Amino acid sequence: MKKCYRFFGGFLDTQENWLNQMAQKGYRLIKTGKMTYDFEECQPGEYQYAIEFVAQQSFKKEREYRAFLEELGYKVFYKNANLNFSAIKLRWRPYGSGMGQISTKPGNYNKELFIVEKRNTGKPFELHTTNSDKSNYYKSLRNAWLVTVVMLLTFVAWQFIDKGFISKGVIAFGILGILCSIPTIRYQKRISAYSVRANIEE
Amino acid sequence: MRDNAKGGALTEVTFFILLSLYTPSHGYGIMKFVEDKTQGRLILGAGSLYGAINTLQERNWIMPVDDGSGRKKEYVITEIGKEIAEAEMKRLKSLINIAEEIIGGQEQ
Repeated sequence: MKKCYRFFGGFLDTQENWLNQMAQKGYRLIKTGKMTYDFEECQPGEYQYAIEFVAQQSFKKEREYRAFLEELGYKVFYKNANLNFSAIKLRWRPYGSGMGQISTKPGNYNKELFIVEKRNTGKPFELHTTNSDKSNYYKSLRNAWLVTVVMLLTFVAWQFIDKGFISKGVIAFGILGILCSIPTIRYQKRISAYSVRANIEE
Repeated sequence: MRDNAKGGALTEVTFFILLSLYTPSHGYGIMKFVEDKTQGRLILGAGSLYGAINTLQERNWIMPVDDGSGRKKEYVITEIGKEIAEAEMKRLKSLINIAEEIIGGQEQ
């Protein structure tokens, strides 16, 4: 067995690549923790991994989706995209749809992602394959980032108006807001590209 | 899903799912059907398939089959779904006819 300490946060592609590299080296995921991954040895390249963002879904919908994936013979792990150590196990997800706006423990609190494992068949492992579905999926990711950007910049504006000068806090949160807009824009670009493609092919 | 029911133009994936469900099948069966029939040209990801199944169920074009044991969830095409699929076949045939008039004329 092998234990690795990593935290990828919102870098879903990086996490997916890392897990696939581990599988190439002969390590299969058996357990996920907040910042840990437990592996056991397997044949190199025996498994493939895909990360799926599910935080916008309600706990009920997310469980149904998980059951569907498991029926296909995939193994599904929960993974957190945030590090929450608060005592109150409740979180508001403004980007969620319907009951997906509230996450609790027990429930989908700290389970923003699925890590999906599939036996390698030599073909690329993608959960989203059609242009319109890809564009929809990236919309949920963009919205999650966009909400963060809007909240940070609103806070910055309010602090600035309230205090009347640019404080260290304003600068720090301003920079954070700008940093968070990078993934927002990146996902927006993907959405646009797939939407355009969906108009002419599919 | 971008299917325009009025215009009758289905996406390729939607049409394939409908065709695969003339005999009851579960998720994996649908994926396999699409892959086999297109010789691997069209591969349907689980997430996309899941979304499509839900949309088609909402429209009553397909429905779940209750086999009692309820282990693996199976789906089957409905009467409405069959009408839609037949209309799509006619639409494609007429499209092919037009295409042959224009392109196919060169071959003799």
